[in-house]
Amino acid sequence: MLRESSQRSGTLDSLNLQGTVNPDTDSGVAHGSLLTAFAEAAVRQTDALPGLRKRIATELGPQELVDAAGIVANFQRMVRIADGCGIPLDDFTREATDDCREELGIHEYASAANTA
Amino acid sequence: MTTTTEAFAYADGTWPVLERVPEAHRRSWTMLASAGEWWTGAERISIAAECRRASALVDGRPDPGRGPAVLPDAATFAVHKLIGDLPNVTRDWYDETISAEGMSDAHYIELLGVVVHVWSIDEFHRALSIDLEPLPDPIPGEPTRIRPAGIRANGSWPPTILPEDLHETEADIYGGSERTSNVRAAMSLHPDSVRWLSDLFDAHYLSWVEIQSVQEPFRVLTRPQRELVAARVSALNECFY
Repeated sequence: MLRESSQRSGTLDSLNLQGTVNPDTDSGVAHGSLLTAFAEAAVRQTDALPGLRKRIATELGPQELVDAAGIVANFQRMVRIADGCGIPLDDFTREATDDCREELGIHEYASAANTA
Repeated sequence: MTTTTEAFAYADGTWPVLERVPEAHRRSWTMLASAGEWWTGAERISIAAECRRASALVDGRPDPGRGPAVLPDAATFAVHKLIGDLPNVTRDWYDETISAEGMSDAHYIELLGVVVHVWSIDEFHRALSIDLEPLPDPIPGEPTRIRPAGIRANGSWPPTILPEDLHETEADIYGGSERTSNVRAAMSLHPDSVRWLSDLFDAHYLSWVEIQSVQEPFRVLTRPQRELVAARVSALNECFY
């Protein structure tokens, strides 16, 4: 989906999917490093969270911060639904992501055994 | 405890929370407090309380206490597993859980629905350093124990309903779409959990219609930014799906 939306927005050439799994890699998405750092701090509840909140509110805006918090909250839910039900990959997801799953190491995740 | 109409005021105004979010959170609290198909309102609130206990244990915070009803041991254990030990949620564990006393596949799915929605709302609060909303009082009522007619094995651990198998009582759960994703169908053994999922998904992320659209959504962050955050959260949870 990230690749599709980057293509539509004309930013596919600068997209680096490694930024989704490696916090030291620039994804190429605008303010991507700040947003992924916030996501990680929120998921892990680290001491970095207050400072990252402040940075997003300052550099992007307070509504952007609330939006990002909603997305984190949403996907904290979605992963538990997927892993809690052992759902299979959708055919369209498999076709669209097969090439990058190996590259990103997603096949190594424990839940890969559940989501065949 | 607060009533659902008073809940989620976000009154201090520290962050500009758009009204669609507290509206969806208040609907969630009403859903939470009401009897479901397999659990009473008091039991559903106890599942939510256990969800908060599990989260507190993971983060090293004080125990917030149990809810108003006693849950089967397997239900309590399932809540803690789903919150704190997700990588070890396996098919064998699922089979063992739904076979335990007081449980079934339908009990499990309704429990999962409560856990993930309460967890999600709480995570929103934690991400913004907003105090957690007190859990609601239970609304009296008995579980209906109605199992949807179109349920069958479709590749997930629990049986699900495909769009072509929907009956009148749950005809709305996929928004009239002729196809759906496996994650949207995952909890269709308990159709209200699918409705709940859609409602909160729209408030926190995008509507299912926006997901399928090529148009940039009317949201603050751009689509690539939204999907980057989503992908990072999924990766941090090592979610293969």
